[in-house]
Amino acid sequence: MLSIHSTEQLLKAIALACAALSVLIGIWYVVRRPHLNRGTKSMLLLGLGAFPLIVSLTGNIASFEYTLSRPFCGSCHVMGPYLRDAEDPKSNSLAAMHSRNHKFGENSCYTCHADYQMFGAITTKQNGMKHLFKYLTEYASTGPDGEGGPPIHLYKPFKSGACMQCHSATAKKWVETHGDSAEAIRSGEMNCIDCHNEIHPLALSRRPTAGKGAVQ
Amino acid sequence: MKHEMAKKMVLFSVLGTIVAMIFMASSIVYPHPLLLVLAMSIGQGIAIFALVLYLLAVALDLQASGEMYIPAEESPALEAAPPAEAPPPVQGSGPPEA
Repeated sequence: MLSIHSTEQLLKAIALACAALSVLIGIWYVVRRPHLNRGTKSMLLLGLGAFPLIVSLTGNIASFEYTLSRPFCGSCHVMGPYLRDAEDPKSNSLAAMHSRNHKFGENSCYTCHADYQMFGAITTKQNGMKHLFKYLTEYASTGPDGEGGPPIHLYKPFKSGACMQCHSATAKKWVETHGDSAEAIRSGEMNCIDCHNEIHPLALSRRPTAGKGAVQ
Repeated sequence: MKHEMAKKMVLFSVLGTIVAMIFMASSIVYPHPLLLVLAMSIGQGIAIFALVLYLLAVALDLQASGEMYIPAEESPALEAAPPAEAPPPVQGSGPPEA
């Protein structure tokens, strides 16, 4: 039996139910071919208008929610090493430690790599489309983990803003720990990953051609 | 003629919607990136096109029904009827004399 534990699952269930109703109405029309009277038109308006609209709305929201999750990011083979490391309970990489955080661990890829700005979600999804195109054209048939493809690199340098969503750069303990570097980090002269650079070590090690900061 | 065309358009619209719904439902059940992108772009495009086609078909059908309907005041039976006689002028109600 289908069990619903989250809003995403509820939206998916609604979308699937409405899609099924729409298809049933469609099949009824194709099989019976009733006269186009007021009743038929109303029924078809439900099947061709109302239910598909609900499927679009709920399906889009549910799909968007799913695209934030780690399994979705790891569903392209080229992300395999990154995913395995992030899900390894023994790994001490930054990615693995953040993925074990129960508050956002399931969405760890998106949480750290999404653009942190006003339209960050939109620009991130635009980049996601670019990822998909690159994956299909350059990595898809180049080995189980896309080894034959070019080194993976970020489109732009990783900014500390993503870290500072959670790690406040004004907290007393943080200021004490970071000493003279604190101001440089806040101003962007220094990045968190300049020192905390064990991010995706396993994935990095398999690409010897990747230079510093090339593969994240 | 228009009625038959409307029925064909509705049939295409229904078939398009079925394809779009299967496409979109499959992307929800198997959310692979490529399927998801295709379903949410092409699938929704087909669904929107099907709805527009259906609305056009309904408009066409209503137009065809309107052509068959003849309003009572324009019916030939009334046009052929002799004009009613004008009532006799009432004394004192005519135009004022110069």
